[in-house]
Amino acid sequence: MRINHHPSDETLARFAAGTLSAGPALVVSVHLEGCPVCRDRLGRFEAVGGAMLDDMPPAPLAADLFGRTMERLAIAQPSPARRPFTRRQSALGFELPKAMRDCEIGPWRWLGPGFRWSKVRIAGSPDAKVMLLKGRAGLHLPAHGHSGREFMQILSGSLSDERGRYVPGDLDEADDDVDHRPVVGREADCICLAALEGDTRLHGLLGRLLRPLVGF
Amino acid sequence: MNEARQEETIPSPGELIRLIEAVARERDRNAFKRLFTYFAPRVKSFLLRSGLADPLAEDVTQEVMIAIWHKASYFDPRQAGVSTWVFTIARNQRIDRLRRMRSRPGDILVDPSDRPDVSPSSEDIAIVEEREEGVRKALSSLPTEQATIVRLSFFAEKPHAEIARELGIPLGTVKSRVRLALNRLRTLLDND
Ligand SMILES: [Zn+2]
Ligand SMILES: [Zn+2]
Repeated sequence: MRINHHPSDETLARFAAGTLSAGPALVVSVHLEGCPVCRDRLGRFEAVGGAMLDDMPPAPLAADLFGRTMERLAIAQPSPARRPFTRRQSALGFELPKAMRDCEIGPWRWLGPGFRWSKVRIAGSPDAKVMLLKGRAGLHLPAHGHSGREFMQILSGSLSDERGRYVPGDLDEADDDVDHRPVVGREADCICLAALEGDTRLHGLLGRLLRPLVGF
Repeated sequence: MNEARQEETIPSPGELIRLIEAVARERDRNAFKRLFTYFAPRVKSFLLRSGLADPLAEDVTQEVMIAIWHKASYFDPRQAGVSTWVFTIARNQRIDRLRRMRSRPGDILVDPSDRPDVSPSSEDIAIVEEREEGVRKALSSLPTEQATIVRLSFFAEKPHAEIARELGIPLGTVKSRVRLALNRLRTLLDND
């Protein structure tokens, strides 16, 4: 399917620089997996990083740093093979994107009629606000605003709001300027991966619904 | 000003590729030393600017150089220039270290370099060199205040509010300048 919604320049630039926080970075990684256009854009922003690295004023190093590095090289084994996968991943009834293979995935939990969520935990980033959401075909989600930025990648089904229609492969960013009322397409249930940046909160009924259950 | 002397010690993009290949194929320590001399001080500078304190920045710099040694054979000149490749290694090692420091026992950490498999493109080295040259031109043609914004928001994990305080301009101005600068940069990057 044709991808129509991509991460913003700012988001990709921050991803390239390594300054996008873990939750949004995971959502962007899933998008990149399926979007050659954004992989090319990312390559250009990384080249910006390369150019800036060349322009960095050299920082003074400890005089013996090269020698110590060679000593570490002599004892360092080439990086060990990846340990076998031991993460707890609940069977959710669909194949997870590769970018999520090292995440801990909780079972589907009830959030409202026809509306479920699953907790996603990223190693080393226990505070990341990431989750999978699943809405029944035709479900109307409560209208809400955001006090920061929300990232949402559609994995299956579709979602529409005042700004457009989102299909698998699409990534939507909604920030403080956006108040929306997403509706799940009638053709199928919709599953998406969502992350909230930093201390982003959702306003309105959806926020009040999520907070006690999801913790954010 | 000793720019002339500086100029001499900076390896050209083509020379950097030859050095990486010498490390990959022959485990050439002299080639590695040249790479170290060029990259280690710059990588450390990048890590300091992105908020790591000094002993940590130097430790991660060592890890970046060790990763370069081990991963040299994975370098693909059809995908990126050497400086860009080193930049992504430094970025990933930084993320990895921060996550390690925050992780709980039993956590398995993902090697960030494993993320998005960028499928090998058919572009040849010349195209990559041209692209990287285009990026440099694009950067240098940005108006100063836009370049500053890109640098700050790109390298320092600075929230817009902090950049606004630092530059003494309103938050809304920072936001619109970031958007404008990246937009312009993207247009320039697309036109190369
Ligand atoms: Zn895309
Ligand atoms: Zn929303």
